[in-house]
Amino acid sequence: MFHTTFYLRRLHSLVGLLVLGMVLFEHIFTNSMALGGAPVLNGALATMELIPKPIFLALEVGAIAVPLLFHAIYGIYICRQANNNPGRYGYVRNWQFAFQRWTAWLLVFFLAWHVFDLRIFTKAISGTPISYELLHSMFTGNPIIAVLYIIGMFAAIFHFCNGITTFCMTWGIAKGPRIQNVVSLCSMGLCALLCLITLVFMGSYFVM
Amino acid sequence: MAEQKKVRLVIERQDGPNDKPYTQEFEVDYRPGLNIVAALMEIQKNPVTVDGKKVAPVVWECNCLEKVCGACMMVINGKARQACCSLVDNLEQPIHLAPARTFPVIRDLLIDRSVMFESLKRIHGWIEVDGTWDVKDAPIQNPHTAETAYEISHCMTCGCCLEACPNVGPQSDFIGPSPTVQAYLFNLHPLGKFDAPTRLNALMEKGGITSCGNSQNCVEACPKNIKLTTYLAQLNRDVNKQALKNIFNK
Repeated sequence: MFHTTFYLRRLHSLVGLLVLGMVLFEHIFTNSMALGGAPVLNGALATMELIPKPIFLALEVGAIAVPLLFHAIYGIYICRQANNNPGRYGYVRNWQFAFQRWTAWLLVFFLAWHVFDLRIFTKAISGTPISYELLHSMFTGNPIIAVLYIIGMFAAIFHFCNGITTFCMTWGIAKGPRIQNVVSLCSMGLCALLCLITLVFMGSYFVM
Repeated sequence: MAEQKKVRLVIERQDGPNDKPYTQEFEVDYRPGLNIVAALMEIQKNPVTVDGKKVAPVVWECNCLEKVCGACMMVINGKARQACCSLVDNLEQPIHLAPARTFPVIRDLLIDRSVMFESLKRIHGWIEVDGTWDVKDAPIQNPHTAETAYEISHCMTCGCCLEACPNVGPQSDFIGPSPTVQAYLFNLHPLGKFDAPTRLNALMEKGGITSCGNSQNCVEACPKNIKLTTYLAQLNRDVNKQALKNIFNK
Protein backbone atom coordinates (compact mmCIF):
# COMPACT_ATOMS: atom_id res chain seq x y z
CA MET A 1 0.00 0.00 0.00
CA PHE A 2 1.90 3.07 -1.19
CA HIS A 3 -0.28 6.17 -1.21
CA THR A 4 1.05 7.82 -4.37
CA THR A 5 -1.80 10.35 -4.56
CA PHE A 6 -1.29 11.37 -0.95
CA TYR A 7 2.44 11.96 -1.29
CA LEU A 8 2.08 13.74 -4.65
CA ARG A 9 -0.57 16.07 -3.23
CA ARG A 10 1.50 16.85 -0.14
CA LEU A 11 4.64 17.37 -2.26
CA HIS A 12 2.65 19.69 -4.53
CA SER A 13 1.65 21.70 -1.48
CA LEU A 14 5.17 21.85 -0.04
CA VAL A 15 6.83 22.71 -3.33
CA GLY A 16 4.30 25.47 -3.99
CA LEU A 17 4.64 27.12 -0.63
CA LEU A 18 8.33 26.69 0.16
CA VAL A 19 10.22 26.38 -3.13
CA LEU A 20 8.08 28.47 -5.49
CA GLY A 21 7.26 30.86 -2.66
CA MET A 22 11.00 31.52 -2.31
CA VAL A 23 11.27 32.05 -6.07
CA LEU A 24 8.41 34.56 -5.93
CA PHE A 25 9.97 36.44 -2.99
CA GLU A 26 13.34 36.51 -4.73
CA HIS A 27 11.72 38.00 -7.83
CA ILE A 28 9.82 40.64 -5.89
CA PHE A 29 12.90 41.48 -3.80
CA THR A 30 15.30 41.79 -6.75
CA ASN A 31 12.84 43.59 -8.98
CA SER A 32 11.94 46.07 -6.27
CA MET A 33 15.56 47.29 -6.61
CA ALA A 34 14.29 49.09 -9.70
CA LEU A 35 13.03 51.71 -7.26
CA GLY A 36 16.66 52.74 -6.76
CA GLY A 37 17.13 53.15 -10.52
CA ALA A 38 19.57 51.54 -12.90
CA PRO A 39 22.64 51.36 -10.61
CA VAL A 40 20.82 49.60 -7.75
CA LEU A 41 19.02 47.01 -9.89
CA ASN A 42 22.07 46.35 -12.04
CA GLY A 43 24.11 46.05 -8.84
CA ALA A 44 21.71 43.43 -7.49
CA LEU A 45 21.86 41.52 -10.77
CA ALA A 46 25.67 41.71 -10.71
CA THR A 47 25.67 40.29 -7.17
CA MET A 48 23.68 37.31 -8.42
CA GLU A 49 26.22 36.86 -11.20
CA LEU A 50 28.86 36.31 -8.50
CA ILE A 51 27.35 32.86 -7.84
CA PRO A 52 29.52 30.39 -9.80
CA LYS A 53 27.87 29.45 -13.10
CA PRO A 54 27.46 25.69 -12.47
CA ILE A 55 25.86 26.32 -9.07
CA PHE A 56 23.62 29.02 -10.52
CA LEU A 57 22.49 26.72 -13.31
CA ALA A 58 21.91 23.87 -10.86
CA LEU A 59 19.79 26.20 -8.74
CA GLU A 60 17.83 27.35 -11.78
CA VAL A 61 17.08 23.78 -12.78
CA GLY A 62 16.74 22.15 -9.37
CA ALA A 63 15.06 24.92 -7.42
CA ILE A 64 13.01 26.59 -10.16
CA ALA A 65 12.52 24.58 -13.36
CA VAL A 66 11.84 21.12 -11.92
CA PRO A 67 9.61 22.25 -9.00
CA LEU A 68 7.77 24.65 -11.29
CA LEU A 69 7.12 22.00 -13.94
CA PHE A 70 5.97 19.49 -11.32
CA HIS A 71 3.71 22.06 -9.62
CA ALA A 72 2.30 23.16 -12.98
CA ILE A 73 1.68 19.72 -14.47
CA TYR A 74 0.22 18.19 -11.31
CA GLY A 75 -1.64 21.47 -10.74
CA ILE A 76 -3.33 21.19 -14.14
CA TYR A 77 -4.48 17.71 -13.11
CA ILE A 78 -5.89 19.17 -9.87
CA CYS A 79 -7.56 22.06 -11.73
CA ARG A 80 -9.31 19.61 -14.00
CA GLN A 81 -10.90 17.89 -11.00
CA ALA A 82 -12.76 21.05 -10.04
CA ASN A 83 -16.05 22.24 -11.35
CA ASN A 84 -15.88 25.85 -10.14
CA ASN A 85 -19.25 27.02 -8.83
CA PRO A 86 -18.89 30.43 -7.14
CA GLY A 87 -21.87 31.61 -9.21
CA ARG A 88 -24.11 29.26 -7.26
CA TYR A 89 -22.22 29.21 -3.98
CA GLY A 90 -20.81 32.72 -3.74
CA TYR A 91 -18.95 32.41 -0.45
CA VAL A 92 -15.60 34.17 -0.08
CA ARG A 93 -13.65 30.91 0.32
CA ASN A 94 -15.32 29.43 -2.74
CA TRP A 95 -14.36 32.52 -4.80
CA GLN A 96 -10.79 32.11 -3.52
CA PHE A 97 -10.93 28.42 -4.50
CA ALA A 98 -12.02 29.38 -8.04
CA PHE A 99 -9.44 32.19 -8.29
CA GLN A 100 -6.73 29.78 -7.16
CA ARG A 101 -7.54 27.67 -10.23
CA TRP A 102 -8.07 30.58 -12.65
CA THR A 103 -4.76 32.19 -11.61
CA ALA A 104 -3.14 28.76 -12.03
CA TRP A 105 -4.19 28.60 -15.68
CA LEU A 106 -3.12 32.21 -16.24
CA LEU A 107 0.27 31.50 -14.65
CA VAL A 108 0.90 28.49 -16.88
CA PHE A 109 0.75 30.78 -19.91
CA PHE A 110 2.35 33.81 -18.27
CA LEU A 111 5.31 31.84 -16.91
CA ALA A 112 5.82 29.96 -20.16
CA TRP A 113 6.02 33.31 -21.97
CA HIS A 114 8.14 34.94 -19.24
CA VAL A 115 10.68 32.11 -19.09
CA PHE A 116 10.94 31.59 -22.85
CA ASP A 117 11.15 35.29 -23.61
CA LEU A 118 13.54 36.53 -20.92
CA ARG A 119 15.52 33.51 -19.73
CA ILE A 120 15.74 31.34 -22.85
CA PHE A 121 15.44 33.72 -25.79
CA THR A 122 16.90 37.00 -24.50
CA LYS A 123 19.50 35.71 -22.03
CA ALA A 124 20.52 32.29 -23.38
CA ILE A 125 20.00 32.51 -27.14
CA SER A 126 20.57 36.19 -27.87
CA GLY A 127 23.15 36.52 -25.12
CA THR A 128 21.69 39.82 -23.92
CA PRO A 129 22.22 40.21 -20.18
CA ILE A 130 19.16 41.19 -18.15
CA SER A 131 19.57 44.78 -17.01
CA TYR A 132 17.59 47.77 -15.86
CA GLU A 133 17.92 49.31 -19.30
CA LEU A 134 16.55 46.19 -20.99
CA LEU A 135 13.51 46.02 -18.70
CA HIS A 136 13.00 49.79 -18.95
CA SER A 137 12.87 49.72 -22.74
CA MET A 138 10.73 46.54 -22.67
CA PHE A 139 8.10 48.02 -20.35
CA THR A 140 8.04 51.64 -21.52
CA GLY A 141 8.42 50.66 -25.17
CA ASN A 142 5.22 48.68 -25.01
CA PRO A 143 3.08 49.41 -21.94
CA ILE A 144 0.90 46.37 -22.81
CA ILE A 145 3.86 44.17 -21.81
CA ALA A 146 4.08 46.05 -18.51
CA VAL A 147 0.36 45.53 -17.93
CA LEU A 148 0.66 41.82 -18.76
CA TYR A 149 3.57 41.54 -16.34
CA ILE A 150 1.58 43.29 -13.59
CA ILE A 151 -1.37 40.92 -14.17
CA GLY A 152 0.97 37.92 -14.11
CA MET A 153 2.63 39.12 -10.91
CA PHE A 154 -0.74 39.76 -9.25
CA ALA A 155 -1.87 36.27 -10.21
CA ALA A 156 1.31 34.72 -8.82
CA ILE A 157 1.04 36.73 -5.60
CA PHE A 158 -2.61 35.79 -5.07
CA HIS A 159 -1.93 32.15 -5.90
CA PHE A 160 0.91 32.08 -3.38
CA CYS A 161 -0.91 33.95 -0.60
CA ASN A 162 -4.12 31.93 -0.93
CA GLY A 163 -1.82 28.93 -1.00
CA ILE A 164 -0.62 29.85 2.50
CA THR A 165 -4.22 29.63 3.73
CA THR A 166 -4.94 26.30 2.06
CA PHE A 167 -1.53 24.98 3.16
CA CYS A 168 -2.51 25.62 6.79
CA MET A 169 -5.77 23.73 6.22
CA THR A 170 -4.25 20.87 4.22
CA TRP A 171 -1.55 20.22 6.79
CA GLY A 172 -4.01 20.45 9.66
CA ILE A 173 -2.20 23.47 11.13
CA ALA A 174 -5.26 25.75 11.29
CA LYS A 175 -8.18 23.58 12.34
CA GLY A 176 -11.07 25.69 13.60
CA PRO A 177 -12.94 28.46 11.75
CA ARG A 178 -11.48 31.25 13.92
CA ILE A 179 -7.83 30.44 13.24
CA GLN A 180 -8.60 29.68 9.58
CA ASN A 181 -10.13 33.14 9.30
CA VAL A 182 -7.10 34.74 10.95
CA VAL A 183 -4.74 32.91 8.59
CA SER A 184 -6.85 33.87 5.59
CA LEU A 185 -6.97 37.55 6.59
CA CYS A 186 -3.21 37.62 7.22
CA SER A 187 -2.40 36.02 3.89
CA MET A 188 -4.77 38.32 2.02
CA GLY A 189 -3.08 41.24 3.83
CA LEU A 190 0.28 39.93 2.59
CA CYS A 191 -1.26 39.60 -0.89
CA ALA A 192 -2.33 43.27 -0.86
CA LEU A 193 1.10 44.37 0.39
CA LEU A 194 3.04 42.40 -2.24
CA CYS A 195 0.70 43.61 -5.00
CA LEU A 196 1.28 47.19 -3.87
CA ILE A 197 5.06 46.73 -3.88
CA THR A 198 4.82 45.23 -7.39
CA LEU A 199 2.69 48.11 -8.61
CA VAL A 200 5.14 50.65 -7.18
CA PHE A 201 8.31 49.15 -8.71
CA MET A 202 6.61 48.52 -12.04
CA GLY A 203 5.31 52.11 -11.99
CA SER A 204 8.78 53.41 -11.26
CA TYR A 205 9.92 52.45 -14.79
CA PHE A 206 7.44 54.97 -16.17
CA VAL A 207 8.34 57.91 -13.94
CA MET A 208 12.12 57.48 -13.95
CA MET B 1 -62.77 36.85 -1.29
CA ALA B 2 -59.29 37.73 -2.30
CA GLU B 3 -57.83 35.97 -5.28
CA GLN B 4 -55.97 32.71 -4.48
CA LYS B 5 -52.24 33.37 -4.30
CA LYS B 6 -50.21 31.04 -6.51
CA VAL B 7 -46.71 29.63 -6.23
CA ARG B 8 -44.79 29.13 -9.45
CA LEU B 9 -42.26 26.32 -9.74
CA VAL B 10 -39.81 25.84 -12.59
CA ILE B 11 -38.74 22.21 -12.53
CA GLU B 12 -35.84 20.66 -14.39
CA ARG B 13 -37.08 17.26 -15.48
CA GLN B 14 -35.55 14.23 -17.10
CA ASP B 15 -37.41 11.11 -18.25
CA GLY B 16 -34.62 8.60 -17.69
CA PRO B 17 -30.95 8.29 -16.70
CA ASN B 18 -29.74 8.93 -20.24
CA ASP B 19 -32.46 11.29 -21.44
CA LYS B 20 -32.05 14.98 -22.09
CA PRO B 21 -33.19 17.33 -19.31
CA TYR B 22 -35.99 19.82 -20.01
CA THR B 23 -37.90 22.29 -17.86
CA GLN B 24 -41.58 22.59 -17.09
CA GLU B 25 -43.46 25.22 -15.12
CA PHE B 26 -46.19 24.51 -12.65
CA GLU B 27 -48.39 26.58 -10.39
CA VAL B 28 -49.85 25.47 -7.10
CA ASP B 29 -52.13 27.24 -4.62
CA TYR B 30 -50.28 29.09 -1.92
CA ARG B 31 -51.01 28.26 1.69
CA PRO B 32 -49.18 29.38 4.82
CA GLY B 33 -46.32 27.07 5.77
CA LEU B 34 -46.21 25.44 2.34
CA ASN B 35 -42.92 23.65 1.74
CA ILE B 36 -41.39 22.19 -1.42
CA VAL B 37 -42.43 18.61 -0.68
CA ALA B 38 -46.04 19.71 -0.12
CA ALA B 39 -45.91 21.76 -3.34
CA LEU B 40 -44.61 18.70 -5.25
CA MET B 41 -47.47 16.64 -3.75
CA GLU B 42 -49.94 19.21 -5.11
CA ILE B 43 -48.35 18.84 -8.56
CA GLN B 44 -48.63 15.06 -8.21
CA LYS B 45 -52.36 15.40 -7.58
CA ASN B 46 -52.83 17.51 -10.67
CA PRO B 47 -49.83 17.33 -12.99
CA VAL B 48 -50.78 20.12 -15.36
CA THR B 49 -48.21 22.70 -16.49
CA VAL B 50 -48.93 26.42 -16.64
CA ASP B 51 -49.61 25.98 -20.37
CA GLY B 52 -52.47 23.63 -19.45
CA LYS B 53 -50.66 20.54 -20.69
CA LYS B 54 -51.25 17.34 -18.73
CA VAL B 55 -47.90 15.69 -18.09
CA ALA B 56 -46.44 12.77 -16.14
CA PRO B 57 -46.22 13.68 -12.43
CA VAL B 58 -42.85 14.92 -11.20
CA VAL B 59 -40.81 12.17 -9.54
CA TRP B 60 -38.87 12.92 -6.37
CA GLU B 61 -37.86 11.19 -3.19
CA CYS B 62 -38.85 12.00 0.38
CA ASN B 63 -39.39 10.12 3.59
CA CYS B 64 -39.27 11.58 7.09
CA LEU B 65 -40.43 15.14 6.29
CA GLU B 66 -38.50 16.54 9.25
CA LYS B 67 -34.89 16.97 8.02
CA VAL B 68 -33.67 13.71 9.49
CA CYS B 69 -33.50 11.19 6.64
CA GLY B 70 -31.86 13.28 3.92
CA ALA B 71 -33.81 11.68 1.08
CA CYS B 72 -35.42 14.84 -0.35
CA MET B 73 -32.15 16.67 -1.08
CA MET B 74 -32.43 18.62 -4.34
CA VAL B 75 -31.16 21.86 -5.84
CA ILE B 76 -33.61 24.60 -4.87
CA ASN B 77 -32.93 28.04 -6.37
CA GLY B 78 -29.40 26.98 -7.20
CA LYS B 79 -28.45 25.56 -3.81
CA ALA B 80 -28.54 22.00 -2.49
CA ARG B 81 -31.00 21.63 0.37
CA GLN B 82 -33.74 19.47 1.83
CA ALA B 83 -37.11 19.97 0.13
CA CYS B 84 -39.06 19.15 3.30
CA CYS B 85 -37.68 22.06 5.32
CA SER B 86 -37.56 24.57 2.45
CA LEU B 87 -40.52 26.83 3.12
CA VAL B 88 -42.00 28.59 0.13
CA ASP B 89 -42.25 31.78 2.23
CA ASN B 90 -38.45 31.89 2.49
CA LEU B 91 -37.79 31.30 -1.22
CA GLU B 92 -37.61 33.72 -4.09
CA GLN B 93 -40.20 33.03 -6.80
CA PRO B 94 -40.43 31.47 -9.28
CA ILE B 95 -38.83 28.60 -7.42
CA HIS B 96 -36.33 26.62 -9.48
CA LEU B 97 -36.04 22.92 -8.69
CA ALA B 98 -33.36 20.70 -10.18
CA PRO B 99 -31.85 17.33 -9.36
CA ALA B 100 -28.43 17.25 -7.67
CA ARG B 101 -26.40 16.44 -10.78
CA THR B 102 -23.32 15.53 -8.79
CA PHE B 103 -25.13 12.19 -8.55
CA PRO B 104 -26.54 10.12 -11.43
CA VAL B 105 -30.10 11.25 -12.15
CA ILE B 106 -32.65 8.43 -12.32
CA ARG B 107 -35.70 10.47 -13.22
CA ASP B 108 -36.77 14.11 -12.68
CA LEU B 109 -35.59 15.02 -9.16
CA LEU B 110 -34.81 11.45 -8.16
CA ILE B 111 -31.09 10.72 -7.90
CA ASP B 112 -28.95 7.67 -7.19
CA ARG B 113 -26.94 8.37 -4.03
CA SER B 114 -25.49 4.89 -3.61
CA VAL B 115 -21.99 6.25 -4.30
CA MET B 116 -22.00 7.72 -0.78
CA PHE B 117 -22.72 4.34 0.75
CA GLU B 118 -19.92 2.79 -1.32
CA SER B 119 -17.64 5.52 0.05
CA LEU B 120 -18.72 4.70 3.62
CA LYS B 121 -17.68 1.12 2.97
CA ARG B 122 -14.38 2.38 1.60
CA ILE B 123 -13.53 4.37 4.74
CA HIS B 124 -14.48 1.47 7.04
CA GLY B 125 -17.50 3.43 8.31
CA TRP B 126 -18.53 1.03 11.06
CA ILE B 127 -17.44 -0.34 14.41
CA GLU B 128 -16.11 -3.88 14.63
CA VAL B 129 -17.79 -5.86 17.40
CA ASP B 130 -16.24 -9.01 18.75
CA GLY B 131 -19.39 -11.13 18.72
CA THR B 132 -23.15 -11.18 18.72
CA TRP B 133 -23.36 -11.55 22.49
CA ASP B 134 -24.14 -8.75 24.95
CA VAL B 135 -21.13 -6.68 25.83
CA LYS B 136 -21.13 -6.03 29.57
CA ASP B 137 -19.51 -2.84 30.83
CA ALA B 138 -18.91 -1.56 27.32
CA PRO B 139 -16.28 1.20 27.15
CA ILE B 140 -17.75 4.64 27.67
CA GLN B 141 -17.56 7.47 25.17
CA ASN B 142 -14.92 10.04 25.97
CA PRO B 143 -17.02 12.83 27.58
CA HIS B 144 -14.76 15.44 26.02
CA THR B 145 -15.41 14.26 22.49
CA ALA B 146 -18.94 12.92 22.95
CA GLU B 147 -20.46 16.23 21.83
CA THR B 148 -18.38 16.19 18.63
CA ALA B 149 -19.29 12.57 17.96
CA TYR B 150 -22.97 13.38 18.51
CA GLU B 151 -22.70 16.29 16.08
CA ILE B 152 -21.08 14.22 13.33
CA SER B 153 -23.53 11.37 13.92
CA HIS B 154 -26.30 13.75 12.76
CA CYS B 155 -25.05 13.28 9.20
CA MET B 156 -27.94 11.87 7.19
CA THR B 157 -25.98 11.20 3.97
CA CYS B 158 -28.24 13.66 2.16
CA GLY B 159 -25.43 14.72 -0.18
CA CYS B 160 -25.81 18.52 0.13
CA CYS B 161 -22.08 18.86 0.84
CA LEU B 162 -21.19 16.72 -2.18
CA GLU B 163 -23.46 18.73 -4.46
CA ALA B 164 -21.98 22.03 -3.19
CA CYS B 165 -18.37 20.81 -3.36
CA PRO B 166 -16.67 21.85 -6.63
CA ASN B 167 -14.32 18.88 -6.31
CA VAL B 168 -17.08 16.25 -6.28
CA GLY B 169 -18.66 15.20 -9.53
CA PRO B 170 -18.17 13.14 -12.64
CA GLN B 171 -14.89 15.01 -13.35
CA SER B 172 -13.32 13.85 -10.07
CA ASP B 173 -12.99 10.77 -7.88
CA PHE B 174 -13.30 12.64 -4.56
CA ILE B 175 -15.56 10.73 -2.17
CA GLY B 176 -16.72 14.06 -0.74
CA PRO B 177 -16.85 15.76 2.67
CA SER B 178 -19.52 13.68 4.38
CA PRO B 179 -18.06 10.16 3.98
CA THR B 180 -14.60 11.56 4.76
CA VAL B 181 -15.74 13.14 8.02
CA GLN B 182 -17.57 9.95 9.04
CA ALA B 183 -14.12 8.38 9.39
CA TYR B 184 -13.48 10.84 12.21
CA LEU B 185 -16.73 9.84 13.95
CA PHE B 186 -15.73 6.19 14.01
CA ASN B 187 -12.14 7.06 14.99
CA LEU B 188 -13.54 8.84 18.06
CA HIS B 189 -15.49 5.80 19.17
CA PRO B 190 -13.91 3.90 22.10
CA LEU B 191 -13.97 0.66 20.11
CA GLY B 192 -13.78 2.20 16.65
CA LYS B 193 -10.47 3.88 17.39
CA PHE B 194 -8.71 0.51 17.09
CA ASP B 195 -9.36 0.64 13.35
CA ALA B 196 -8.30 4.28 13.01
CA PRO B 197 -5.16 3.39 10.98
CA THR B 198 -7.32 1.43 8.52
CA ARG B 199 -9.62 4.43 8.04
CA LEU B 200 -6.77 6.92 7.77
CA ASN B 201 -4.96 4.75 5.23
CA ALA B 202 -8.19 4.53 3.23
CA LEU B 203 -8.43 8.33 3.28
CA MET B 204 -4.91 8.58 1.87
CA GLU B 205 -5.94 6.61 -1.22
CA LYS B 206 -6.88 8.25 -4.53
CA GLY B 207 -10.11 10.22 -4.16
CA GLY B 208 -9.70 10.41 -0.39
CA ILE B 209 -9.08 13.45 1.77
CA THR B 210 -6.25 14.71 -0.45
CA SER B 211 -8.85 15.60 -3.10
CA CYS B 212 -10.30 18.25 -0.78
CA GLY B 213 -9.55 21.68 -2.26
CA ASN B 214 -10.67 23.75 0.73
CA SER B 215 -13.49 25.58 -1.03
CA GLN B 216 -15.37 25.14 2.26
CA ASN B 217 -18.77 25.05 0.55
CA CYS B 218 -19.57 21.88 2.50
CA VAL B 219 -19.76 23.57 5.88
CA GLU B 220 -22.05 26.26 4.42
CA ALA B 221 -24.29 23.70 2.72
CA CYS B 222 -24.63 21.18 5.57
CA PRO B 223 -28.27 21.21 6.75
CA LYS B 224 -27.22 19.65 10.06
CA ASN B 225 -24.59 22.34 10.76
CA ILE B 226 -21.77 19.81 11.09
CA LYS B 227 -18.44 21.64 11.28
CA LEU B 228 -17.14 19.66 8.30
CA THR B 229 -14.13 21.87 7.56
CA THR B 230 -12.93 21.64 11.16
CA TYR B 231 -13.05 17.85 11.07
CA LEU B 232 -11.47 17.74 7.62
CA ALA B 233 -8.55 19.75 9.03
CA GLN B 234 -8.37 17.37 12.00
CA LEU B 235 -8.34 14.40 9.62
CA ASN B 236 -5.63 16.11 7.55
CA ARG B 237 -3.59 16.30 10.75
CA ASP B 238 -4.34 12.64 11.48
CA VAL B 239 -3.44 11.35 8.00
CA ASN B 240 -0.17 13.28 8.13
CA LYS B 241 0.70 11.57 11.42
CA GLN B 242 -0.36 8.25 9.94
CA ALA B 243 1.90 8.86 6.95
CA LEU B 244 4.85 9.49 9.28
CA LYS B 245 4.04 6.25 11.11
CA ASN B 246 3.85 4.42 7.79
CA ILE B 247 7.26 5.74 6.81
CA PHE B 248 9.16 5.52 10.10
CA ASN B 249 7.63 2.59 11.95
CA LYS B 250 8.68 -0.13 9.59
